[in-house]
Amino acid sequence: MTMPLSELFLSAVLGKTVIDQAGKEIGTLQDLIMTRGEVFPEVSNLVVKGKRTTNLVAWKDIALFNPFVVSLASSYRLHDYVPKEREILVKRDILDKQIVDVNGAKVVRVNDLKLGSYKDVLCIFSVDVGFRGLLRRLGYERIGGRIATLFKKELTEQLISWQYVQPLELNTSRLTLTMAQDQMADMHPADIAHIIAKIPSRNIQTVLNSLDTETAGEAIHELEPELRSRIISQLDSEQASDILEEMAPDEAADVLGDLPEEKAQELLGLMDAEEAEDIQELMEHEEDTAGGLMNSEFLSVSPDLTIDEALKEVRLLAPEIDTVYYTYIIDENDRVMGVVTLKELLINPPTTPLSEIMTTNLKTVTVDASPEDILEIIAKYDLVALPVLDEEDKMAGIVTVEDILELFLPYALKRKRHHHH
Amino acid sequence: MFTGISITRLFKPIRKVNPRNIVLFLAILGPGIITANVDNDAGGITTYSLAGAHFGYTLLWTMIPTTIALVVIQEMCARMGAVTGKGLADLIRESFGVKVTFYVMIALFLTNMGNSVSEFAGIAASLEIFGISRYVSVPVSAVLVWLLVVKGSYKVVEKVFLVACMVYVAYPIAAFMAGPEWGTILRATVVPSFQPNSAYLITMIGLVGTTIAPWMQFYQQSAVVEKGITIDQYSFSRLDVIFGCIMAIVVAFFIVVACASSIHMQGLKIETAADAAVALKPLVGKHASALFAFGLFNASLFAACILPLSTSYYICEGMGWESGIDKDFRTAPQFFWLFTIIIVLSALTILMPNVPLIMIMFISQVVNGAVLPFVLIFMLLLINNRHLMGSHVNGPAFNLIAWGTVIVMIVLTLMMLADLLAPGILGRLHGS
Repeated sequence: MTMPLSELFLSAVLGKTVIDQAGKEIGTLQDLIMTRGEVFPEVSNLVVKGKRTTNLVAWKDIALFNPFVVSLASSYRLHDYVPKEREILVKRDILDKQIVDVNGAKVVRVNDLKLGSYKDVLCIFSVDVGFRGLLRRLGYERIGGRIATLFKKELTEQLISWQYVQPLELNTSRLTLTMAQDQMADMHPADIAHIIAKIPSRNIQTVLNSLDTETAGEAIHELEPELRSRIISQLDSEQASDILEEMAPDEAADVLGDLPEEKAQELLGLMDAEEAEDIQELMEHEEDTAGGLMNSEFLSVSPDLTIDEALKEVRLLAPEIDTVYYTYIIDENDRVMGVVTLKELLINPPTTPLSEIMTTNLKTVTVDASPEDILEIIAKYDLVALPVLDEEDKMAGIVTVEDILELFLPYALKRKRHHHH
Repeated sequence: MFTGISITRLFKPIRKVNPRNIVLFLAILGPGIITANVDNDAGGITTYSLAGAHFGYTLLWTMIPTTIALVVIQEMCARMGAVTGKGLADLIRESFGVKVTFYVMIALFLTNMGNSVSEFAGIAASLEIFGISRYVSVPVSAVLVWLLVVKGSYKVVEKVFLVACMVYVAYPIAAFMAGPEWGTILRATVVPSFQPNSAYLITMIGLVGTTIAPWMQFYQQSAVVEKGITIDQYSFSRLDVIFGCIMAIVVAFFIVVACASSIHMQGLKIETAADAAVALKPLVGKHASALFAFGLFNASLFAACILPLSTSYYICEGMGWESGIDKDFRTAPQFFWLFTIIIVLSALTILMPNVPLIMIMFISQVVNGAVLPFVLIFMLLLINNRHLMGSHVNGPAFNLIAWGTVIVMIVLTLMMLADLLAPGILGRLHGS
């Protein structure tokens, strides 16, 4: 490879005639085979379609590669092209397909690909998902440009660097080609949920597999109930129960509550016994009551501790618990006596007994309280969470302001909220 | 018979009738029934009314073969949707590239635009029978349709549509009121007859052509995908398709019967579906006439919702633009603009005096006929692609029926095109 190669679009070279040094026609450029590269995926071979045969030409045997000429070096070798299971063909597998734009958290369609040389190797730099790429493929780029100029606008390119691209069609074994999978795990679960809702169901597995179980669980919880139960039923039970275990028990109960009884029991059976029991208890409550909304995991300590001792306990318990701003003080009969906030724990002298600073006479609700009642109390007293008492007045869990908001914020609004952040 | 797999598998879900299966079927019910019913839109009702009024019962025999063709084609779409989880526009783009997709989409836009115009014409004509001015009915309907999409979700919209499907019962009732001769009808339905003149031939082609239109394949497949139906639940989805197609043809059958038993018997000439409703009044009674007119209104409004919506959906699908009812003008501009443009232009066309309505219908039908062969051939190529469909490709027997259907459809469509572009050519070829 001696030629300096500027960047070019795939659409400019596909279908070009490939010639040898003497100018003799070898065939037309049909596709490019790509392999994992140092930074970007590299083009290892060209697929050249001749009159009777389809051949492979290694990238090192190419002399010129630009929109005007594709020519072979003097000593080239043609191999018969035999399709292999794992290989990735740029045109066949990427062009015109849907991909996930990890940065924009969107599912988009590949209109074109930008190629360029990196350390003398042809690499895929970015994908073009914009209108200009579409016009280029249709052969109307120039006309489109002129029309845009008339309106004093410019047709801008919408390129997404390969780094931020996650192809959907490629099966897991081929995913090593993309760097985006790590970044996908860093996306907000709500954004991942948005993507999952947009892609064909057969690709959902690919996306979930590229996430860790916890992120997958959070993303699944963010989905609309209908889609959520559909996806859970399509996962293999082992994977589904792993994901459910990573969810907060009230969320897991939500998800399981929407599944057919049989399936829910099967998944519960595969889960850790203690966790399954928690979830099952939550599932017994009506969905639209305090019992159905509550989370059975909350911070609780006994009343005879000092602040210092209580903080130690909190540190120990907190990793497993969602809401840590309130620590409840519970007597030996599981009755709630009072609450201290995290702030109170931090600003008071460590030796102060909890009983001195805790707020007593708590507002509580029973398991059958309606969401409206809870909303009213939470709003009136500015609470972050509200204790829920069972039939024997024991503390069964808490309903957080988040749980309540989720119920009262319309779905559409929630989606918009996620979009703007 | 239909599937190439075997008839037993076709009706397998019925054999295991238990409450759970019924619930499952009701949940999956929808895409097939809605698509097939929208097929009986203003244009469809017009064609069926004219067929009955001009040729009596003599075209009824085409109904059974048409049902088979419709089921064969729509079943393939539903299957592709369930297996791939992608719409037809998606699949065409991914397998045949952007250029082909682009021109197919342009053609679909034009023909669906024309269809939408005829839906609004149907709304105007049917409500004018009840004394409501088109300057009231058309703008109000346009706004209603627009709001339904902007405010509604797929679930709500689908429920509204399923209720609308029930209104088609109006036609069988109107047909019974016309006091038809059932013996003659039964004979005419199963025994093919033929009249060697071009008017008959054109009406026959029109009957088949209006029943199998390109937008239906796109809509059906997208609806299956949107509903999240997977291949596990597919046997129910297939029943939905068959049920919908039969229902649609039964409605068409009764429209023909109603007009044949009254208007044709009296030897009256009519030009439109609204004419048919008016003509029924002195012949059958004002209730039958009102039922007929109301059915036309329902069908037109129903199709005026679906056509612009589905057109925007699959154009955006194919071109890779954001789409969806839950978006807005800022996040999915192309989708909402397309939808708005189709509705506004169609409604305005009806309200403006001196608009060449016949010319618009003509172009729309020509484009319709020109796209259909491409869509059908693409479908057959896609469904036989193992890479996409795995073990769910067509079986050899089904393929034979499918290719046969497609070839007959293409020949009929080309004949219709020839007649539209050069009127009288069929008659000359026929030597009559």
